[in-house]
Amino acid sequence: MRKAIAPIVALIVAGAGLATFFALRTSPEPVMSTYFLMDTVLTVKTTGGDAATINEHLHALASDVDSMTSYYKAESETARVNAAAGKGPVSVSPEYAALVKAAVAVEAIDHGSTFDIAISPLSSLWGFTTEDFRVPAAKEISDTLAYSHSDQLVISGTTVQLRDHRARIDLGGIAKGYSLDVMEEYLHTIKLQPRQVIVDFGGNLLLYSGGRKHDWKIGIRDPRGQGIIGYVRSGDAFVATSGDYERYFERNGKRYCHIIDPSTGYPGTLNQSATVITDIQPMHGAIGDALGKVFFCSPAETQRSLFQTVESQGIVGIVLVDAAGTQSTLGPITFVPTAAQ
Amino acid sequence: MKRSDRITGVVILAAVALVVVFWIVMHRTPGTLAVVQVDGKVVATVDLTSREVQTLRITGVLGPLVIVADGKGSIRVAEATCPDQICVHTIPARSPGDQVICVPNHMVITVEGKGTGIDALAH
Repeated sequence: MRKAIAPIVALIVAGAGLATFFALRTSPEPVMSTYFLMDTVLTVKTTGGDAATINEHLHALASDVDSMTSYYKAESETARVNAAAGKGPVSVSPEYAALVKAAVAVEAIDHGSTFDIAISPLSSLWGFTTEDFRVPAAKEISDTLAYSHSDQLVISGTTVQLRDHRARIDLGGIAKGYSLDVMEEYLHTIKLQPRQVIVDFGGNLLLYSGGRKHDWKIGIRDPRGQGIIGYVRSGDAFVATSGDYERYFERNGKRYCHIIDPSTGYPGTLNQSATVITDIQPMHGAIGDALGKVFFCSPAETQRSLFQTVESQGIVGIVLVDAAGTQSTLGPITFVPTAAQ
Repeated sequence: MKRSDRITGVVILAAVALVVVFWIVMHRTPGTLAVVQVDGKVVATVDLTSREVQTLRITGVLGPLVIVADGKGSIRVAEATCPDQICVHTIPARSPGDQVICVPNHMVITVEGKGTGIDALAH
């Protein structure tokens, strides 16, 4: 009987070894990387595959988009277009032309009254480009608003032109979402597919699980307090949030956020946050990013009709928190508020 | 009962205990911890369950930062040498996933720990 112990022990050890092997194999540790660019943070969390290499490559892709679109870098395509304002058309790359066209298409939804890439002279007037914040006089705002609209923009094939010499464009409101498009496109081409990739680019998310169809639980940041107001569930998606709570300044107890309402020339005050979830399709990262501003700068009355206009374009759903803190959703998503959990 | 049977029993019990311990180690719930990073490298971790006020002085890319954990579960940037002071004005981090970020200093405080069960935070 004593002899019988040896095989039993061997069996148990082998079993424990196998269990350990599979436990480690089925749950690889995520690799998290943090980068700083576009005046914000890029966090990439990759599980499985060649995670570290994937993270580095995603960062490189975001850097490329930054080099192309940056308002501040003298050699960017945006800087070249702005430098030639009032002078003549500028030849740009096909990618850049496509991005500007996508931005203008979103503006057209409500005639540029809630999102406008040419609003940038007003951002400068309020000090958001230099961080030398100030509240401009009403006259300065109306004067600047006169040439801060996309009707200054002439796009023909791959040339872009600004009519007025004072007009400027800034793709900051769409470039982070567009970076996620470029990243998603690359992730699809990887041979050794990662299990999951979560990209957080200054609040814009890309949730990627490839063919695994992960059911994501997406927390919505509380715009005024700590933690989350609740969560929504979705398959792979782009998630863009526009809010008044991360970039703003205060004067005499009043909050002035960095998103300028193109219809008034003043920082948006109608909402605290707007989160737009779009499905994985080409340019939907960019479009979702821009739509975040559209819904952020829209009153509740028009949000519903705007949603009907864009519904067919891959919008999964929208979570809104208005100026009074009231939460609502648009589209076939289920929002689970924190209090109800 | 034979002596060998007893040994077999002990071995099986030991193996079961081993598997249980292994399981717990693999699935333990981390305590609420704040991780402070500069340029993607962890420079400090702070136990947010501690009842003591903890003050950290770290060096960011731009200059020094003073980080304070209030002993009640929240952590914030008290002082920073950045022009925008966005980090100082950020609501203190408390729940898992909360962050306080200073872009000019390449500094990120992230609260870790299970609790919300969410995959990602839209912000």
